[in-house]
Amino acid sequence: MLSVIVLLLLGGCVWLGFELLQARRASRVLRAGQTETEEELKRLQATQSQVIHTTKLASLGQMVAGVAHEINTPLGFVKSNVEVIGDLLDDYRTLVKQYDAAVQHCLQPVDLIFGADKSSLDKLVKHVEEARRKLFEARTNLEKSPLLKDAKELLTDASDGLGQLSSLVLNLKGFSRVDRDGMDTMDLNEGVESALMIAQHQLRDRVKVVKHLQSLPKIRCMPSQMNQVFLNLITNAAQAIDGDGILTIDSKSDGKQVEISFADTGSGIADDILPKIFDPFFTTKPVGEGTGLGLCIVHKILKGHGGSIKVRTTPKKGSVFTLTLPVDGAGVIKPVAAAAIA
Amino acid sequence: MSEPLRILLIDDDARILRTLKAMLRDCTTFQTTNPLEANTLTRQHDVDVVICDHRMPAKTGIDVLRDIKEAHPRAMRILLTGYSDLKAVLGSVNESEVFRFINKPWDNTQFKSLITEAGHIARTAPVIARDPLPPNEHDRARAQVGVLVIEDDTTVQQRLREILQPYYKVNFVNTAERALLVMEQHETGVIISETQTGRSDLTALLKALKQHHPHIATVVITERTNAQTAIELINEGQIYRLLIKPIRMGTCRLSVDSALGRYWQLKQNPLAARRFTAAAPSEHGLHSPLRLPAALLNRIRSLPGRLLGAARL
Repeated sequence: MLSVIVLLLLGGCVWLGFELLQARRASRVLRAGQTETEEELKRLQATQSQVIHTTKLASLGQMVAGVAHEINTPLGFVKSNVEVIGDLLDDYRTLVKQYDAAVQHCLQPVDLIFGADKSSLDKLVKHVEEARRKLFEARTNLEKSPLLKDAKELLTDASDGLGQLSSLVLNLKGFSRVDRDGMDTMDLNEGVESALMIAQHQLRDRVKVVKHLQSLPKIRCMPSQMNQVFLNLITNAAQAIDGDGILTIDSKSDGKQVEISFADTGSGIADDILPKIFDPFFTTKPVGEGTGLGLCIVHKILKGHGGSIKVRTTPKKGSVFTLTLPVDGAGVIKPVAAAAIA
Repeated sequence: MSEPLRILLIDDDARILRTLKAMLRDCTTFQTTNPLEANTLTRQHDVDVVICDHRMPAKTGIDVLRDIKEAHPRAMRILLTGYSDLKAVLGSVNESEVFRFINKPWDNTQFKSLITEAGHIARTAPVIARDPLPPNEHDRARAQVGVLVIEDDTTVQQRLREILQPYYKVNFVNTAERALLVMEQHETGVIISETQTGRSDLTALLKALKQHHPHIATVVITERTNAQTAIELINEGQIYRLLIKPIRMGTCRLSVDSALGRYWQLKQNPLAARRFTAAAPSEHGLHSPLRLPAALLNRIRSLPGRLLGAARL
């Protein structure tokens, strides 16, 4: 009997030990699984921030390309004009030298008159006549010469071009707000204008831009993020339009909120896609071309500023994106972490 | 030159027009901000050189120059643009067949000497007919003239073989070295080439060939497209067509057919080849470090005229 009990106990112990071992193994597997999941999560987070960084770089690249293109034309004629003006001045100096020579020629007879006898007087008269003619001709050449007028015209153009170049740089600075960080008060119309300038090379000769910008109260926001919102919406509109089209931008305010809409005559958005357009990583573009983050970031930025965005669309007719922002939003603002999207 | 060159300037920015007019004081210039007037002005004034912007609201420079190519082929065409996007570059090769693709801002001295050169060519080099060859003539050309493919991707080679073998005398090679071996033995009128095989660059070879043998027509079929390389291939390689992979049968056949026609016509009329003179490779070019070995260059120079058909000029 005792031996049976001992045997049972022993059996129980062995069983318990076995169970314990099993449990330990299971917990080890579980822990390993947990670490794996954590690592996976970290990897995903890293990928996401990398993608966000890539979109930031892509929009920077777009900005640089756009501005470089805008700069080439004024730079082209300013550079050439400056060189040509140098040539024109050289040519003008030649004319002045010729005039000088004519003056010298006129002065010679004066010396001769003092030592003149009767026979040489005739020659002298002829010389004076010749000298007068030469002087008159040189003088006319100088007066009629278009060189200075041309140079002046080229200078006017050059200074015009330099003005254009500096406003481009100013615009660029305004767009990226490199000299200021974080919150500031901003006239959103200015943001729209500078984003239009950056997107110029995508619109030009293809998409006509119609602006109805009413004067807006300044709002407190992160200007660089707002500019990114505008650039994103303008770029999307340009891409939605295949061939020629119109982008209409309206802005207005009732004093409490500001409303800006971007209406394009593009392809519109299909019904089955519409609910997904603000989702992260959703894109209709081929792999490698779109990040699928553009509208997601737009949405995040506006939400962070206490605002919202709505879309109305008719397939094949176009879409209207309307964003609304509170004028007195100082209390609500929770800007998205600058590192993530700015 | 006896009479000043007649130059037509087209740009929607009047400031560029005033600049070019001032830069070209020694020439007779005509200008317009309206690209739709370009064709009429070109014929009306029998211009020698047309300098045209690309991006204009009414009509692109590619379209303007293509129409001028048809209506007044005597004029040499130069595209002057601030926007060197790939579409513009492809159009300027395949559609308007420009003499040069120049980026804004430009260098006055270089640009002026380029325009003078172009004007001189326009006045002295004959124009070849643009029509396709008559069928019997074309058959003779196909029977006599070789097409050389430089490509190391075997799938692409196979595809080209299917498209071209039934119609042309085709040779396939995968290095610059082998390409020259073929050219030393067979009359070669058309070269179809990638810009790269393996890790070696082919653009230097294509440019050198054009420098010394401007009547050979080059069709570049590439998958690595980059606007800067393409612009250099226009200016320094005067390539005849630039196609992007994947290869499409129709476009490929058409391009090779018309390239062969061009070679054949230049062979009958060697003086016209000057219209396709390539610029000397620039020092600042993307591929300037990749110079061709001297031995290869010498072989290109001494390719026998008998095989090239046209008399060496």
